[in-house]
Amino acid sequence: MNSLERILGAVHFHPPQRVPVIAQVFGHAAVLEKIGLDAYLRNGELLARCQLRALEHYGYDAVFALMDVGVETEALGSVLSYSPFRYPAVTSYAFAKGIPEIPVVPDPDHAGRMPELLKTAKILRKEVGNQILVVGCVLGPMTLAIQLMGPESALFLGVDDPEKFSLLLDFAADVAIRFGVRQLEAGVHLLMIFEPSASPDVIPPALYREFVLPRQQRIFRAFKQAGSLANWLHTAGPVLRILPYYPQAGVDIANIDYCVDPAEAMRILPTTCLNGNIRPTSFVVSDPETIAAESAHLLKLFEKPGGFILSSGCEIPPESKPENIAAMVGAIRKGG
Amino acid sequence: MNLEPLIEALMEGHRERALKETKSLLQQRVERSHIVVKGVEAAMERLEAKCTIEQFNLLEIMLSGRAVTAVMKELYPQEAPLRKTKGTVVLATLEGDVHDLGKNIFKMVITTSGYRVMDCGKDCPLEFLVEAVSRENPLAAGVSGLISNVVPAVRAVRSAFHERGLSNVRIMAGGAVLKQMSPEELCVDFVAQNSFDGLKYLDGITGERR
Repeated sequence: MNSLERILGAVHFHPPQRVPVIAQVFGHAAVLEKIGLDAYLRNGELLARCQLRALEHYGYDAVFALMDVGVETEALGSVLSYSPFRYPAVTSYAFAKGIPEIPVVPDPDHAGRMPELLKTAKILRKEVGNQILVVGCVLGPMTLAIQLMGPESALFLGVDDPEKFSLLLDFAADVAIRFGVRQLEAGVHLLMIFEPSASPDVIPPALYREFVLPRQQRIFRAFKQAGSLANWLHTAGPVLRILPYYPQAGVDIANIDYCVDPAEAMRILPTTCLNGNIRPTSFVVSDPETIAAESAHLLKLFEKPGGFILSSGCEIPPESKPENIAAMVGAIRKGG
Repeated sequence: MNLEPLIEALMEGHRERALKETKSLLQQRVERSHIVVKGVEAAMERLEAKCTIEQFNLLEIMLSGRAVTAVMKELYPQEAPLRKTKGTVVLATLEGDVHDLGKNIFKMVITTSGYRVMDCGKDCPLEFLVEAVSRENPLAAGVSGLISNVVPAVRAVRSAFHERGLSNVRIMAGGAVLKQMSPEELCVDFVAQNSFDGLKYLDGITGERR
């Protein structure tokens, strides 16, 4: 059984030979190669090369064609500032002065860094074939709305002008669908919707249900039609109150963050594969023994029900200690 | 005088209704300071009770914050109210992080509760924070962080304070990434899980009972 089969087995709750492990290694792949994030995030070939080296180094089950939360908004006209040491930040929001009357969905083959990301997807798939999972990523509608307008403007719009807010989320969903489908064509096996801004610690669950859920549903449906092997939703923070909506959204893999009780998540989503949930900052400040113990605890918890991918609760921070990531992967070999 | 409608409007984050209630209270010659203490502060206290760690969300706090700001502007259009402050707090999002929404919400919460805030902004060099603390003699310094690359800067705050003879200033931290960590891991005195958690800590320092 190879990595891809192992992960699809977990999605379908087949008894595993061993539990799959996905370290959410994004920018850390650049740090490992002593390359600045500004270079890594703007060069698709370099990004792919670093992802492959990290895969070789750690031996986990998936690689990521993933840059940062600025890709879509930059393609739509936002200005970002880059640094070798941190992810880019928006310095000028594309929709700061208002939403254009007819916003145009960017062409992934030409807009901003989207073509570079497609290049990454192509290289990764060519190199790992169907042995290792290649994950693509789009921003969820709520998160893209915030990246386009700025957090305060986007959040207040949801209350002050729900009609306009709905149109903005519809547009954001269109962006996600076009970009995601193109990533699938370029070679990713499945797509993750990265949606940290829909977390219940940012917006009330009712707002998620009324505004975000229908758009996530539409995006995931389009991805499945375009051949995505599974739909992965990544919402950071205390998600328990919105988990009941995940099946309706079409989620096959649900990310659970460090602050979520995994047993409770499992109770709410008995037939959805969960991935998580080691505290991300532990990879920076903790030690291999602690990470191994946390991993063993999770493996034990999910031993019977299955449907589990061992992972961090969110991205493994770029500056994490490599030995801590190795400890999580090693725990699988020992006990998974 | 019934301030309940104002309190409810503020808790719901309903700016227009809160303004209407405030204007109505002023027309009835209710003292401005009474509206602040029995209306605005009472609403914030109830919001605090409502916002447990499980129930807290940014949008509702932002809406209440916006309504509170509008009410305070209506009450004191020219200048801030002359109230005795509970003390000064210096806030910063340290160099390496440009996300300051959490810091701004915390600022609103503690300002409404009577603290004076010196805001050093975002992407703030550590030296700038040290200078501000040295100048302002605050009862605490608060640092916020959404992304993990700010952690080394947070860990360096205590020794930087110590070198400048500022060891008596309490250091508190908060924000999406920092709240994952313990005070020991960050070398700070307190890690707040949300804005009201931070407010409780400050009130503990000042001996306030809420």
